Amino acid sequence: MKKTIVLSVLAAAIPFIGAGCAGTNAHYVETGDQHNVVSLGQINIQDYIQAANDMTGKLLASGALDKVPNPPAVLAISRIVNNTGKQIDTDLLTKKIRVAVLDSGKALTTTTMGLGGTAEDPMAKGIQQEHEFKNDTKVTRTPDFTLSGKIIELTARVSDTRQSTYSFQLSLTDAKTGLAVWEGEKEITKQGTQSSVGF
Amino acid sequence: MKKQILLALLAAGSVAGLLAVSGCKTSVNSVENAQKEGQRQMVSDSRVITDGSLAKKVSIVGVNQTMTPGGLLKVQVELLNKTRSYQAFNYRFEWFDASGMQMNSLSTAVIGSTIEGKESKFISAVAPTSACKDFRLKLVEN
Repeated sequence: MKKTIVLSVLAAAIPFIGAGCAGTNAHYVETGDQHNVVSLGQINIQDYIQAANDMTGKLLASGALDKVPNPPAVLAISRIVNNTGKQIDTDLLTKKIRVAVLDSGKALTTTTMGLGGTAEDPMAKGIQQEHEFKNDTKVTRTPDFTLSGKIIELTARVSDTRQSTYSFQLSLTDAKTGLAVWEGEKEITKQGTQSSVGF
Repeated sequence: MKKQILLALLAAGSVAGLLAVSGCKTSVNSVENAQKEGQRQMVSDSRVITDGSLAKKVSIVGVNQTMTPGGLLKVQVELLNKTRSYQAFNYRFEWFDASGMQMNSLSTAVIGSTIEGKESKFISAVAPTSACKDFRLKLVEN
């Protein structure tokens, strides 16, 4: 009788074991934390956050952005090449870096100068040109640095185990000299037989 | 005959078990210069341990800090895995200004990392702005 009661209690407790850590119903999780889905063969949001975090820290620590005559430095975003074979929006990486360097007070990013003469913000460019025309002065500050880079994917497989490595590479180039004054690389490797939740 | 088969199965099971365990138990040997040139600026720290199991696998040895050329606080934490088992863990640095207000930014992101058995490892972070004066490191078992 005693044994039956103990077994019944144990059986009733089983569904609750681990219930605090997992659930199948839709729920909110903090972006980038350990409860996010980890996909093999795909860059997850936590990968972008980790790469941007790592490279921003290194960029700010290097002091490269401080070496300008009129701080804060002006930064222009150049080409970020996607060599992953998947369609990705590179802004998921660059925007995070832009926000971080702006918050740091070390650099401002221009939105009126873009790759191939295309402004990120055409209206701002128009207003800026109008100001220059009316006042007959050149107010545009040319960028001190450009940020370019590449995202590369490497995959490997042994039996059922798959491995994906994503290499995030960035170069900060002095726009006057054309020399790279800072370079950063962050590699993220994921391995497993199937996608899961957590790091 | 039945007993022999049982013994053989038991032996095979033991070997498989040992192999499985040894696959997870690795530790690190290391060598370094005995006479150190660099001097670490150690920080007096305050610790809160709520996960005793993690505290053994990813124990905090010490914290040191420095200022970057750009005037940002850089913190480095030495971790030690006291066990012989490989351990995955997550960490997150949080930053606070002179008023004790948390500065939320990219640098407060959760980072996944691993540590081998008996390995000593450093993790570091740079403050997002020069206004950051204090920090907190959070460690979570994976």
